[in-house]
Amino acid sequence: MNNQNQARSTSQIVIERTYKAQLAEIWALWTTKDGFESWWGPQGFRVEVQALDARVGGALQYDMIADSPEMIAAMKQMGQPTSHPTRSSFTELKLHERLVLSNVIDFLPGVEPYESKIAVDFSPAGDTVRMVVTLDAMHSEQFTNMQKEGFTSQLTKLDQRFA
Amino acid sequence: MQLDAFQALADPTRRRIIETLRQGEQQVGDVVEKAGVHQSGVSRHLRLLHESGFVSVRPDGQRRLYSLKPEPFRELEAWLASYRHLWEARLDRFGAALEKNQRARRAQLRKKRT
Repeated sequence: MNNQNQARSTSQIVIERTYKAQLAEIWALWTTKDGFESWWGPQGFRVEVQALDARVGGALQYDMIADSPEMIAAMKQMGQPTSHPTRSSFTELKLHERLVLSNVIDFLPGVEPYESKIAVDFSPAGDTVRMVVTLDAMHSEQFTNMQKEGFTSQLTKLDQRFA
Repeated sequence: MQLDAFQALADPTRRRIIETLRQGEQQVGDVVEKAGVHQSGVSRHLRLLHESGFVSVRPDGQRRLYSLKPEPFRELEAWLASYRHLWEARLDRFGAALEKNQRARRAQLRKKRT
């Protein structure tokens, strides 16, 4: 085990993808209601966008709704509501170059509200576009535990689905 | 004050101390020298790291020896892996949505031509 890498990797997670597509199409998946709803999960959930204002300081508000029978059952079992409103905003936005979504985490009992950021950088190269997503690692223990439980059940579902 | 794992590692000085302790069990004086941090700072950070479960301490005569505990690193690793996995799945769906749009557009173009 490499503790040094552990220490370094805790603050941020970086995921890169390259798509053969036009930059405008990719941008639209982040900045339009239809686009955002078409992919933002997670698995077992659908998203209903209430407000999406792709400007600096503009709001992104959506409900995450459990929509598979398994997920609805799982959420009920965990004592969680099957629909959850999320408030985000575009804190940075440079057309076709970069956007930052800040998410207010204010629903955890005993945890001070805090912001979690998702930064996305787009760079075209020939007929492809490289997309780099940089995520804050969440930093409260409660959140970590909740995520862990939630993700574990989700990942189990994923495994079942693709098994 | 007890810190969670992410808070514990958020501080660059604590990360330096952890890196120093990777070389093995040490006393405060050695950590001070190798990490280049003032004695009072090292003591405070070692106490916080001990309280948050990163560091264990054992007495050896007059000395107190500090070493790293693997558990929090394993936990962090597992959590980060699941978080990354979630995002990988999310971006798979992003790619699938993109392809779906492209197929729809191509179909529309064909329609226009005929």
